[in-house]
Amino acid sequence: MKKSIGDNMIPKDWGFERGLELIKKAGFDGVELWLGDVPWFQMATTDAQVRDLRRKVENAGLVVSNVSTGLHWASPLSARDPTVRAQAARIVERQIETATLFGTDAILVVAGLVTDEVPYNEVYQRCVEALKPLGEKAARAGVRIGCENCNSEQRFLLSPREFWQFLNDVNNPAVGIHLDVGNIHDTGFAEQWIEIHGPRITRVHLKDVLKHRGRSGDQSVYTNLFLGDNNWPAIRAALTKVGYDGWLIAEMEARYRYAPDQQFYDTAQAMDRLISGRL
Amino acid sequence: MEITRREFLGYTAGAISVVGLPLPESTPTATRLRKLDKWQVLGTTGRPSIPESALGYHAALPQERQRVDPWERPSVPSCSLLIYPSLLVINQKDAAFLTRCMNRGATVVIESGAGFMKHFAFRWHRRQLRERLQIPVTAPVDLWSNGSRPSTPYVEYTWPQRARIRDFSRVVPPAEQPGEIIAWAGELPVAFKRRVGAGTLIYLGSPVGPALWAGDVEAKRWLHAVALTA
Repeated sequence: MKKSIGDNMIPKDWGFERGLELIKKAGFDGVELWLGDVPWFQMATTDAQVRDLRRKVENAGLVVSNVSTGLHWASPLSARDPTVRAQAARIVERQIETATLFGTDAILVVAGLVTDEVPYNEVYQRCVEALKPLGEKAARAGVRIGCENCNSEQRFLLSPREFWQFLNDVNNPAVGIHLDVGNIHDTGFAEQWIEIHGPRITRVHLKDVLKHRGRSGDQSVYTNLFLGDNNWPAIRAALTKVGYDGWLIAEMEARYRYAPDQQFYDTAQAMDRLISGRL
Repeated sequence: MEITRREFLGYTAGAISVVGLPLPESTPTATRLRKLDKWQVLGTTGRPSIPESALGYHAALPQERQRVDPWERPSVPSCSLLIYPSLLVINQKDAAFLTRCMNRGATVVIESGAGFMKHFAFRWHRRQLRERLQIPVTAPVDLWSNGSRPSTPYVEYTWPQRARIRDFSRVVPPAEQPGEIIAWAGELPVAFKRRVGAGTLIYLGSPVGPALWAGDVEAKRWLHAVALTA
């Protein structure tokens, strides 16, 4: 397995190249690029600029592990407004295009957003319908769409079997799950999600979770690896069992008040321990 | 005593149930549905504004009764029910044709798909509805604007049977005009019906198709009830 971390973790005043240098120095093999979340990679970024970003990544001795985005929180595929929905589809298309330019084969999509305004059944149907043509586009480009399990935040696809059924309904091997082992909270167990989804897992996001905080408090439920309630030996064993040998991508919250770069080193070392199984 | 139209309708429906008169059936039987003449969902070619609306209507009514797009003009007059889902624009020729269908006795459902349109585009929609189908409407209302939310997320239909169907965030309310208001979002009228010749025009300012598409059983019952009146 290989280690990656998001470019949205790079301290804001550092810039892309300095950030890449830190990522490499900390021991990561790759970087996850977040479309729309960082100044250097936006929807308006041209193909030529994307190629330039790739050169910078490779010059740093890294590769792009995948293309993610947080843009779908504001423009979900499940929106009722047709204009917003078209924009959401365009974001996925741009992710696919840039993944090809970056030489990676996976993108992360937050597939739908259930709200008190837009109900579950609508969101489900709309996401299935949206992902069918997008899956075909992804397949033609040799890219897989990983729908992330943002269980509590999305209020959608809350159980692994439900997610499984969703992927069955989309019915395209190019559409799988980008599994975040920290997002399951107290609604289940990451190792069981891994076992159920196995070959459909496109990438794995790593973070730990403090289940007792729930979702109602003002403190984040997320924390650094090994500080929370995830059963890491079980997660590691499940990854081995399903034969997952792909990218592990740290998706931490920037929690260090001082020496923010230290979080990169600590995270990389924790990931090494996880990969080695010395837990 | 002042009484709103909505209150009057509520009292009337309540009185009917109190005196024991039968309320409309909630589920049409297969036998009754078989009495339906042909029906057709129109205007679904090209780029409909809310594609799932047409899909919802297609899924909700019996397939054997369905005429398929493209619009086969000569066959349409035999239809008892014509549904135009998520309508944005309609040309003069098609509007005149719908009017002829109504004059011959058909029920035509016009569902506005303009709730999310921007101001300029909406003006075009409003003008076409008014001039070509004689349906004056007011500007779209965002039921969920600025973090506010309606007391319930439902549009309440009073005809042909009572039904609660999810709102679609925006509604295009009918302006004052002849006819009977048949649905409300809170105190806001969102749908009406009126006789046109021997037929009926039903205007829906809140799309029903997406609820049908999402599997809302009550929406399906309501549509079946409309089909049975046609």
